[in-house]
Amino acid sequence: MKAIIATTVFGVIMMFAGLWVNDKKSIAGLATFLFAALLGVTIWDLTTTSVNSPKSLFNDMLRSEHYSLWFNTIMTGCSLLYVLLMGKEVQKVGKYVSEYFALIFFILCGLYLLSMYNNLLMMFIGIEILSIPQYILAGSDKRNLKSSEASLKYFLMGAFSTGILLMGITLLYGAARTFNITEMVTLMHSDALNPLALAGILFIMIAFSFKVSAAPMHMWTPDVYDGSPTVFTAFMATVVKSAAFFAFLRLFQVSFNSLSEHWVMVLAIITAATLLVGNVTAVFQQSVKRMLAYSSIAQAGFMLFAVLAVNAVAWQGIIIYAVAYSVATIGIFAVLVKLKDYTYDGFNGLAQREPLLAFVTTIFLFSLAGIPLTGGFMAKYYVLLAVVQQGQLMWLVIFALLMAAISVYYYFRVIIAMYFKAGTPEISSPVTGGDKFMLVVTCALVILLGVLPQLFLTKV
Amino acid sequence: MELYDILFWVLSAIAVSCALGVILSRNPVNSVLFLILTFFAISGHYVLMNAQFLAIVNIIVYAGAIMVLFLFVIMLMNLNADVEPQKGQLVQLAGVISGGILFLVVLASIKTAKAEIMDKTSTDIGLISNLGKVLFKEYVLPFEISSVLFLSAMIGAIVIGKKEEVKTSATAKMEHVSE
Amino acid sequence: MDVLMLSAEQNTPFNYFPIALQLVIAVGFVVVMMLVSHLLGPKRKTEDKLINFESGIPSVGNARQPMGIKYFLVAILFVLFDVEVIFFYPYAVNFKYLGKEGFLEVVLFVAFFLCGFIYIVKRGALEWED
Repeated sequence: MKAIIATTVFGVIMMFAGLWVNDKKSIAGLATFLFAALLGVTIWDLTTTSVNSPKSLFNDMLRSEHYSLWFNTIMTGCSLLYVLLMGKEVQKVGKYVSEYFALIFFILCGLYLLSMYNNLLMMFIGIEILSIPQYILAGSDKRNLKSSEASLKYFLMGAFSTGILLMGITLLYGAARTFNITEMVTLMHSDALNPLALAGILFIMIAFSFKVSAAPMHMWTPDVYDGSPTVFTAFMATVVKSAAFFAFLRLFQVSFNSLSEHWVMVLAIITAATLLVGNVTAVFQQSVKRMLAYSSIAQAGFMLFAVLAVNAVAWQGIIIYAVAYSVATIGIFAVLVKLKDYTYDGFNGLAQREPLLAFVTTIFLFSLAGIPLTGGFMAKYYVLLAVVQQGQLMWLVIFALLMAAISVYYYFRVIIAMYFKAGTPEISSPVTGGDKFMLVVTCALVILLGVLPQLFLTKV
Repeated sequence: MELYDILFWVLSAIAVSCALGVILSRNPVNSVLFLILTFFAISGHYVLMNAQFLAIVNIIVYAGAIMVLFLFVIMLMNLNADVEPQKGQLVQLAGVISGGILFLVVLASIKTAKAEIMDKTSTDIGLISNLGKVLFKEYVLPFEISSVLFLSAMIGAIVIGKKEEVKTSATAKMEHVSE
Repeated sequence: MDVLMLSAEQNTPFNYFPIALQLVIAVGFVVVMMLVSHLLGPKRKTEDKLINFESGIPSVGNARQPMGIKYFLVAILFVLFDVEVIFFYPYAVNFKYLGKEGFLEVVLFVAFFLCGFIYIVKRGALEWED
């Protein structure tokens, strides 16, 4: 709860910082300081809440479960990492630097709501607070027509999916007569199940699939991720997507657990389609940025496994997947923004010019592909384990492994370009010692996740 | 109550046919006007359900303010050329099939639902004083948190809507030339 | 009319029947008058009468011109503050019932909006000339 207040206040501070401070550098410095402070507040929240007794807040609007607070802490950490790696790039997007940071603080407010909500109304507000700043960030590069297109497309599609979400909530309310997701369980469990609830679950599933860009509701993702300023794509594809997944998992795990036989097959098909579309389309991309957009769809397919598995391991899976995927993707984007040419050819010969950059990129790509000893491997292991423990959908697990093999192809194309092709990559901004240090830290985090994943797991 | 039923069906017919008008009319301005009519019909439904506050708010905010915004957006666009892209036959067919299936699912669930007959005796739930009591007691957190949403909308209006100073775009051009 | 008399004491939708009736009569009057004058009035269509009237000056260009974003900016800010005011109605009705606690809640909400308002003014969103 303290974190929600803190992030709102910090957001307001950042809003006003832009009025009185004209120097972009000191604004970014202030933002970094506030993100660090926010991390402190989330840790404070975490340590002051006991593991076994979740606190119910504000007439059960929110429930601060331990895993929710842990997720908040980890995602705030990822945001801090993001600001440290890319704070300099945010300054280049446009004039309103402090506003961009304020919007990121507001997005984090949405994230905290989504990890703790215990009421469908809070879920709705959380999703809106998460989405609306993103529409703005997507369109923040006003001189670029593609950025405006991305913003408009994202906004229209997002508004449409929010409508579907509301329809689902309405039907669910009609069946259960409550917005409270834990109270709902008892009403859902009764033998004479109201079919309206099933229609509601279907609508909510469609809306969430949209938010996490699962196929066939993924169409907006490549255009939006490609058109938005690269720095903000990095944030959208990682922290925000993880938050949407956490909310997805929370609702389906807490409320619809007992009804899983009704919806598991639908979600399994969505998962299979997401894996197929994401991985196969990524193979044909020429731009690394667009490839990463499709790769984020493919990774969403893996994260859906956590939602499919209605057991405790799923929580471990989603948290470790969120952090492993976020850290590696933020790292890759941090390298990508340094380059001028986003095609594969732009990476040619990077190993000669910037050997360290090439090395860390290789580790990040290993992680995304799920090579052992990196975070991505452990993440894939945990989400698949969750489904295997459930003892069904083995075909889907095998299919996922097959798709992971395909993903190696397009991730390794970048590595091949960096190490085995000659060329002089154009660097848009000089790589300073600080950048290198942060990239090495990020890289160390990825390896740490792969070697000691227990550090990032929590009691569920 | 005979009058109640007649009003219900008339309002429903207006709402549904106007909603169809929104998506079927070619001219976007007509769509907006149809949407306003739809909102009025829905406000009528709110009054029937004894939720007068919602009925008025629906008219003030949606039909009044938000529809004006819609009209502004339409006028911001260049509507002289008929540039609406035509989707391919296959896409249209896919849309019809998937939409139809979704419609069937909802229809089936509503048909088999044990929908209790709508309570026609007047309840006071929707009255403004009861709404205020619930809003400021039970649902106080969503109420406060929604201000974050408004703040982001204000920032959005500035970031997207405000013209960047000429100075910045000029320097940007200079940078572009020097590159 | 019995229905109307009986329900006068209670708060039911049928309290609004007179208003609806008034609305129907008001709108109906306008519609009938326009239709009748349209049908009964003589019509002589000549070329001069059919051209668009633009203050007596020959009409130039197209009416569908893109307009300035400034109008939109003001309109969207208006909507935000409009919604804020809407929240005051349920509060005002329950002012005494909600007491000090409710007052603080509303003050907090208004404080956020005040921050937003100061921000908007300082950023110059309401300045017409730029």
